[in-house]
Amino acid sequence: MSKRMKKIATGLLAGIMTLTLAACGSDNSGKGNAAATDSGSGNSGGSSTGKKVTIELAISKSSQDSAFVAQDVLDEFEQKTNIKVNLQLLPAEQTATVLQTKLAVDEVPDLIQYNLASATTDLNLERNFEILDNEPWVSRLLNKDVLSAYDHVYSFHYSQDTGMQGVVYNKDIFKDLGLEIPKNYEEFLAVCEKIKASGITPVFMPFKDNWAANIWPAAAFADWAAKNEPSLFEDINAGRKKWSDVPEFATFLDQQYEVYKKGYTNTDILSDSYDMAVGKFLNKETAMMFMGDWLIVNVAEKDPNVHLGLFAIPSSEDANLGASPLGGQLFIPKKAKHMDEAKKFLEFLATKEVAQKMVDSQGSVSNFSDVTTPKLPDYKQEIVDQYITPKKTTLTTDAYMIVDRSELYRLLQDEFAGGLDAKGVLKAWDEKFSQLMKDKGVEGF
Amino acid sequence: MKVSKRLYSYYLIWPALLIYSVFFVLPALTGLFYSFTDWRLDREAIKFIGWDNFERIFTDRTLLLAMKNTAIFAIVTVLGKNLLGIALAVGLNMKLKSKNLLRAIFYSPSILSVLVISIVFTPMLRSDGTINRIFEAVGLPSLSQAWLTNPALVIWTVAFVSIWQHTGFQMAIYLAGLQSISKEYYEAATIDGAGSWRSFRSITIPLLLPAININLMLTLIGGLKVFSEVFVLTGGGPGNASQVVGTIILRSFGEGSWGLGTAVNTLLFAAVTVIAIPLLIFMRRKEVSE
Repeated sequence: MSKRMKKIATGLLAGIMTLTLAACGSDNSGKGNAAATDSGSGNSGGSSTGKKVTIELAISKSSQDSAFVAQDVLDEFEQKTNIKVNLQLLPAEQTATVLQTKLAVDEVPDLIQYNLASATTDLNLERNFEILDNEPWVSRLLNKDVLSAYDHVYSFHYSQDTGMQGVVYNKDIFKDLGLEIPKNYEEFLAVCEKIKASGITPVFMPFKDNWAANIWPAAAFADWAAKNEPSLFEDINAGRKKWSDVPEFATFLDQQYEVYKKGYTNTDILSDSYDMAVGKFLNKETAMMFMGDWLIVNVAEKDPNVHLGLFAIPSSEDANLGASPLGGQLFIPKKAKHMDEAKKFLEFLATKEVAQKMVDSQGSVSNFSDVTTPKLPDYKQEIVDQYITPKKTTLTTDAYMIVDRSELYRLLQDEFAGGLDAKGVLKAWDEKFSQLMKDKGVEGF
Repeated sequence: MKVSKRLYSYYLIWPALLIYSVFFVLPALTGLFYSFTDWRLDREAIKFIGWDNFERIFTDRTLLLAMKNTAIFAIVTVLGKNLLGIALAVGLNMKLKSKNLLRAIFYSPSILSVLVISIVFTPMLRSDGTINRIFEAVGLPSLSQAWLTNPALVIWTVAFVSIWQHTGFQMAIYLAGLQSISKEYYEAATIDGAGSWRSFRSITIPLLLPAININLMLTLIGGLKVFSEVFVLTGGGPGNASQVVGTIILRSFGEGSWGLGTAVNTLLFAAVTVIAIPLLIFMRRKEVSE
């Protein structure tokens, strides 16, 4: 009975999926097949003499102003190679679901713009995407890490400065109070004390948005692991170690909680949300926040006269700056119908001229040895000088977690609601983590 | 002749039945099937896993908390919306000059989007928000609370907001019920010497039972299926303190555990049915006709 029911249900689902996907898929797949044979037989030259090929690039609607897909870039590519890039704009709130479905039913686009950290958790990076280690542009990369996962280059980007995470601070307040950037936790508390004495809230914690509570631990954990136990996350992901096995992790969580307990933060941290942060900095109500450099950009857009900077989470002596593998990278699905053409597109974007143009227009830090980084905003130049050039950055834990992290965020929030202590958070996360890994079918759980 | 006539009436059902089957029965059945599988999109194949999902639901602390919260929410809102709804309806059924205005005022929150409610209430319910300020101003600072961030309190707060929003709707149904009761009953009761409480108990309540039934059903089912209020006010937080079954379903889907999410949904469906249908039958029996 159950077998029969399973058959019926599977059949029905297949039917429904075919129906829903027919609209977007059937038309392209016909073209795709023809083109694929074409590229397989004699398109190796890929010059303008060949038959025109159209490749599909799926991109979230919210990222459609991405430099990769600027119309002039696409036009130039088409002119040079006779390959047309067709954009599939996906609704922002359903990007993950749509891509998951496409990958599941093998109706894959040739290129996907997504962020690396989420691709590992949402899209099953290892199974679904092409390893790009042998692409010609890889040898010119300055920072491979920001494009890598599981020791392979899986994605493409021209810049390396997306999503730096640490303590965003107001330089003017630091200057007025004669404060130095703290190099360890004790110095950080001393800085907080002085800021508090001046009547300004030292740290703004918008933990109504529970993800914001993860900025401190994500950088602190990764920094500790990189320096003390480089294989830690590999072990955790194989079920050989638990999060609660590292006593320092509990210490780092305690630190963040202590900053709140000592009264160095806004009082209503669980009611305040991230969208209030820009206002807090504009009004100089707060001096610091554990956040990414995107906050600095958001504040500068409103008032360029507020001078903000970023320093590493001072969880331990001389910590590295957290680098989150965020931002939209380009990926090629393993089952892309036009693999060669998709790779050619990446090669084109990686050429010195095109990459230079994109770096210049975005004011970002080049990831190619032969592309010059333009004059950067002050805060960014400092990040480059103090952290990126001396290689003092570490990928945050987000890069290593291959399961949905929202329960961790909720647990972190619970620490501040008084439900759990630091050890309790790690223990509860261990349980949830192993459940999620088991659900995923990862060996060792 | 008779037979074909009877069949003819069945033919007419077919289109409706077909649509109903395709868009309701079929998804419900597939849902039932998937709740017994380990359905995830990052898996190659779907495996039948029997009762595993349900076992997990009853051993997961957060899911149990969510069920407790859902029960609290449902009971509190059923009582609150109906008691207040009847009180308001009886009050506004009297001869008042401003009754139309007042009816409109009390009804208006229920036409607002829950998002608007969240935007209005979130700042009011902060530790330094309007509600606590009022308590302090009237000399009751001990009543100040972290309404939305105290784990022990938060589900009650959300229930209160829901009562505030929807009581007007319940009131409207009760008002309609009240207006269908003939005035003659009250006149007769007055002549017999009954006071207003006695009239209310012996005339209003029994004759209002159809409206009470409808409202009980609506509020109970709404309470058990609560999602939007919790989602916009707290997101299930702080931590997991205000998770309800509805938000747990969302959580499971977000984590990629689609089979588990469907199982929770199936369970919710079963719970609503098991609670609502006997209650409906029981209440129906109590109804009297005029």
